Amino acid sequence: MRPSSLLALLATAIFASAAEDGAQVYNTLCVACHGPDGKGLNGLPPLVGSDWPKGPAARSIKIVLNGLTGPVDVAGKGYNIDMPPQGAVLSDEKIAAALTYVRKTFAAGAGAVTPDEVKSVRAATASRTTPWTAVELLKAHPFPPAKTALKNLVGTMYKGEWKQMPDFSTLKPALMEDFNVGVVDPDQSGLKSNFAMVWTAQFEAKEDGRYIFNFDCDDFGALFVGGEKVAEIKGIAPIGGRRKEVPVMLKKGLTPIRIEYVQVGGEQVVLLGYKGPKDKGVQWLSKSKGGNAGKATPSIPIQPKDGVAAIYRNFIGGTSPRAIGIGFPNELNLAYSAENVGVELFWAGKFMDGGHHWTDRGAGNEPPAGTSVVKLSDGQAIIQDGAPSGNLVRYVAAKGGKDFVFSALPVSAEFRGYDLDKAGNPTFRTAGEGFAMTDAWAPDTAASKPTLIRTIKVTGDKAVTVVLARGTTISGPSDGVTEVGTGLLIRTQGGVYPRSSTADKTLTVTLKPGESAVLGYSYR
Amino acid sequence: MKKFSLFLALAAFTSGLSAAAVIKKTDTKASEARQSEFYERVEIPTPAGEVCEVSSLALMPGKKIAIGTRRGDVWIAEGAYDADLSKIKWTKFASSLHEPLGMFWKEGSLYATNRPEFTRMTDTNGDGKADRFDTICSKWGINGDYHEYAFGSEPDKNGDVWVVLCLTGSFHAHSPWRGWCARITPDGKFVPTASGIRSPGGIGANDKGDIFYTDNQGVWNGSSSLKWLRPGSFQGNPTGNKSASLLDFPAPPEPTSGSRILAERLKFPDFVPPAVILPHAIVGNSPSGIACDMTKGKWGPWESQMFIGEQTASQVQRVNLEFVNGLYQGACFHFLGGFEAGLIPVRIDQEDGTMFIGGSNRGWGSRGTKPFTFERVRFKGKVPFEMHDISAKPDGFEVTFTHPVDAASAADLKNYAMDTFTYIYQASYGSPEVDQTAPTIKSATLSADGLKVRLVIDGLVRGHIHHLVTDVKAKSGDTLWHNEGWYTLNEIPSK
Repeated sequence: MRPSSLLALLATAIFASAAEDGAQVYNTLCVACHGPDGKGLNGLPPLVGSDWPKGPAARSIKIVLNGLTGPVDVAGKGYNIDMPPQGAVLSDEKIAAALTYVRKTFAAGAGAVTPDEVKSVRAATASRTTPWTAVELLKAHPFPPAKTALKNLVGTMYKGEWKQMPDFSTLKPALMEDFNVGVVDPDQSGLKSNFAMVWTAQFEAKEDGRYIFNFDCDDFGALFVGGEKVAEIKGIAPIGGRRKEVPVMLKKGLTPIRIEYVQVGGEQVVLLGYKGPKDKGVQWLSKSKGGNAGKATPSIPIQPKDGVAAIYRNFIGGTSPRAIGIGFPNELNLAYSAENVGVELFWAGKFMDGGHHWTDRGAGNEPPAGTSVVKLSDGQAIIQDGAPSGNLVRYVAAKGGKDFVFSALPVSAEFRGYDLDKAGNPTFRTAGEGFAMTDAWAPDTAASKPTLIRTIKVTGDKAVTVVLARGTTISGPSDGVTEVGTGLLIRTQGGVYPRSSTADKTLTVTLKPGESAVLGYSYR
Repeated sequence: MKKFSLFLALAAFTSGLSAAAVIKKTDTKASEARQSEFYERVEIPTPAGEVCEVSSLALMPGKKIAIGTRRGDVWIAEGAYDADLSKIKWTKFASSLHEPLGMFWKEGSLYATNRPEFTRMTDTNGDGKADRFDTICSKWGINGDYHEYAFGSEPDKNGDVWVVLCLTGSFHAHSPWRGWCARITPDGKFVPTASGIRSPGGIGANDKGDIFYTDNQGVWNGSSSLKWLRPGSFQGNPTGNKSASLLDFPAPPEPTSGSRILAERLKFPDFVPPAVILPHAIVGNSPSGIACDMTKGKWGPWESQMFIGEQTASQVQRVNLEFVNGLYQGACFHFLGGFEAGLIPVRIDQEDGTMFIGGSNRGWGSRGTKPFTFERVRFKGKVPFEMHDISAKPDGFEVTFTHPVDAASAADLKNYAMDTFTYIYQASYGSPEVDQTAPTIKSATLSADGLKVRLVIDGLVRGHIHHLVTDVKAKSGDTLWHNEGWYTLNEIPSK
């Protein structure tokens, strides 16, 4: 055989094996999540109908090499899930073959990926050790501009802390970018807190008529159409209660539009949409689309049932990871921190929603579902005179430079568990050197407004001080009543009286063995 | 075309000629189709209208069985052993544990290992519901990351419960004791016991009471495996090493990335290599719960073998272990398949021989398509023709079969093929198979009873996985249900 025909034979073999390899790699490693048909299995992200496998090969190659972590929108649905990296497992040839298979089979029109492309991306990202985020990837390899009514969209970002809308003409922009994606998205700032964005664009009206604009944001913002302020969201609150729907008469053609937005902290969302004269539903101009913006999770309300309190042990926003939430039938709720041995959150109305923790992998905190949330305290809630001896410790983590550092923190008391009565009312138990304490909560059935009665008892031979509130506004006690935060009243109904200290912003009660404190919690 | 890819193509072509490709491997679908000849798999109805993503199982007195769910509920079933499962009765025992992954019954209470703590649940007033919840131990850190799971064993002979603590995500230890195994004593003391853990999927004891866990492929794990938690050992992943300083422990090894397990564990005597590697994407993708057969035949002829759940493939794999030069090693085999969801906990009722198994595919995909499942499996009495176990010898292996082997078939060397490989031991995620070799099988000798074939092999490689494919026929003419085994040869025995 002449060398050239050997080469030709080998070339055929390589191409044949590459095509076969692609399907084989896919059906071995990718199929468990993305499914044999590319539609995604068991609620995991699809490849079919997604923009991710299309466009620049480098984006797909990066995902396969290093994986993807955190929130990502795929084919109109939000996911928060990790794709494990495969760069250490698969050769350049296998990645190229698998991606070629995916792009040909599930993303018609997307071209083949060559081993050389994989090799060069691998070399360029060699120092990368952690998975990519969707924001990073889309910044480097954006999707083609969305075909929305927003033309020439430009975003300008300002850094700072504002409680109300600033005068943007006096501010110096920190970033100005041509976000050629047709939708507004606070993540375009690259920040999570203390910033403002102003987006300007031309709104394209397809015909003359009445356009109803939908506008909401977390935290606050304003919408201008044709130079007029048509809607404003004031204050600091989540998406939902303040959403505006405003009609604007427009002529066919382009009208200037401007969105001003301020993010203080927590969730960051802008909702912008419109319904034109011939539209059946709202056309969204924001990355978040109505409802509980950005979250594809269903609502799974957790509520007391048949007069029995509900319990929810999970990551509750605003308290420590070892949280025990209790939702009482009289629509008062609390979150106990087993880490800090105290009640840290108190709220009214709805208890919790399990939709976030009970779908996908359930990472991170879920805030209380109700209203009037008062953060009562933070840190250890049971203190003994003098420093803890060091016999009881809690192992704690703190961010130190790039990583976390651990230490053993001496504490006065440890969580020992809880008892539930027939109505689901909890008695939390703690103990330390020389004492044990119970902390019982139950609705006050005799009270005229929703009230929880808290009974704290100490036994043993040592006195302890219980922190009822710390680091929040404390007014009183006056006539046995203290107001904590906004509108939460703590009323002494028996036993030892609490005392407040304006110096260290605390409300505490000190109990000797055999003593108790009985306190009523209600809203003003 | 680049020279590089030419070379690769040639290499592939050459290896394609090796003996391994000559024997046809048993096909997963075909072997799952034969399963009902030997084992009966039944779905057990879960409480109507409830989402029961089974994450824990506990066998209780009086043929009751408790399930813990990822949503944190604990339900107790009466009638889960019965022929007529439509009459099963469920009682809710407790609500809202935090993702319990390990549960057992002891002295009138259910105990659960959940994310934040190890908890005892007791019904003190006899109304069928737990009313007292005692936090026995909560000394490890958690921070809200979805990955920070805690898997707990049943109590060992001292009454200690072994807990393996998953890392923060795949790459970090952001909370104290992540990446460690600790024992919890009956009085609640937290005794850190082994370091080097990545992402456990289950934990359980063998028949000698030694504790094993499954660890999933990822950083420092070229493949998933079954690992032995020898007290004081390092299991291979240094991410969580920094917790050692909390109790003035000696610093665990800092191995070199890009090396091999054998090279590094010879440097660090505390480094216990995986007992049995479950080759990634070949045997499974994500192993979970562990159960040991001590049923004296009620579960089949597998006394003292280990059974391992598999999340992604919705299967159960089978493992035989032996102890050589101070280390566990052995072989894994495909076994049961076709389960309805990703599998998490596995329990075998040792008196009765029933396997109970459950799981969920939330957050991690699985071949089984239901969102959650609770099932039982029973041996039907007909012993499949299988490799019962593979045992290492100084110059090869001894393969024991479940039925006598046809003498001519056993003697024909064409009926055996072996290849070996290992993985790169590295800080990156997973590894390709590397360092492949093709040992020569020099002779195959059948024992007088026809059950054992002694393979003399030239080219055993210490530290490698030895993949055996065999096409021998039973004396009865039957073919093997599964014809592949993967033996992790940590040590070559001297006799």
